[in-house]
Amino acid sequence: MLNELLLKFATWLDTFQASTDLHEALYMYGWVEGTHVLTLTLFLGMLLVIDLRLLGVAFKEIPASTLIERLDRPMMIGFIIMLISGALLYFAIPVRSTQSIWFRVKVILLVAAGINALLIRNMTRASDMSWDNDPVPPKRIRIGATLSLGLWALVVAAGRMMAYDWWDCHKEIPYFMYWAAGCVNEMAAFE
Amino acid sequence: MDVVFIFQWLDTSALADFTKTWAGLFAMVQTVHILSMVMLCGMMMLGDLRMLNVVLKGVPSEAIIANTKKWIYLALVLIILSGIYEASAIAMKLAYNTFFFAKMAGLSMGIIFMLSLRNAVYLRAPEQIGANGERAESVPVWVVKLVALANLLIWFSVAATGRWIGFS
Repeated sequence: MLNELLLKFATWLDTFQASTDLHEALYMYGWVEGTHVLTLTLFLGMLLVIDLRLLGVAFKEIPASTLIERLDRPMMIGFIIMLISGALLYFAIPVRSTQSIWFRVKVILLVAAGINALLIRNMTRASDMSWDNDPVPPKRIRIGATLSLGLWALVVAAGRMMAYDWWDCHKEIPYFMYWAAGCVNEMAAFE
Repeated sequence: MDVVFIFQWLDTSALADFTKTWAGLFAMVQTVHILSMVMLCGMMMLGDLRMLNVVLKGVPSEAIIANTKKWIYLALVLIILSGIYEASAIAMKLAYNTFFFAKMAGLSMGIIFMLSLRNAVYLRAPEQIGANGERAESVPVWVVKLVALANLLIWFSVAATGRWIGFS
């Protein structure tokens, strides 16, 4: 049911001339993708600095709260541009993206990374930052930072894998993979 | 100077055979390349934006630059190793790719610039930028800011031309 709805939405997006134009543009698609990757370095680069501090492996002489509060703005600027450029990339190739198992994995990981970020934020607020100047923060904060780095690394990996067609709908893959990728027509052929 | 022979050698090497055989591993190495680039650019940007007084104003720049250095070096090693691995799979395509040579030129310039001018100037950042206390041999504010801007520009061009290799 959900797969059908998602495919319907993607097919509807695909009917827009702007979608085709962006996909087939000689330079514009490259610029959008380039912007997506470059803003990734801003967002993830700043997040890396914060997470390394929360892990207690770098920037130990700088209070954790200073890094968290003052790198938040450049990090969010990077995130917002990355999100907009990502949405444009999806708009350019909606059907294939919707039916890409890697795209689906990426979205799930993005949600997980977002929940983890919220949990870290709540934990740091609840802890009244008494460990702010400690070189190594408490264990639960370090676990959160490890999860954050791991999840974002996997988001990047899933994004990179989207370029490959190993498990695209037109390939012969197991039924489970068709289901996971949302290959509605191929699943119907099985039944 | 004709350097095509280097690419021909790489294309027929055992590494190229290995790379072309294991497509899944190639994709994973590509991810390592991107993540290393994130590490490099993130650490570079932190140092440069600090020197431009855009982020972490008032935090001693010495601590920031000292902390970013080892991560920059680690990222550079990973970028070069994963880059050679990636290049071996498409060596002959790269031999005639303008953006690849632009990236290599930018990368070389970036490394030389960082190891020489950037490191030397940032160590002598004046009090009003660095917040490290008064120094006898500090350089003018505009020099520090110019170096920060130049460094950002060089590494931006390296990342951008690298991305464009895939489109050309």
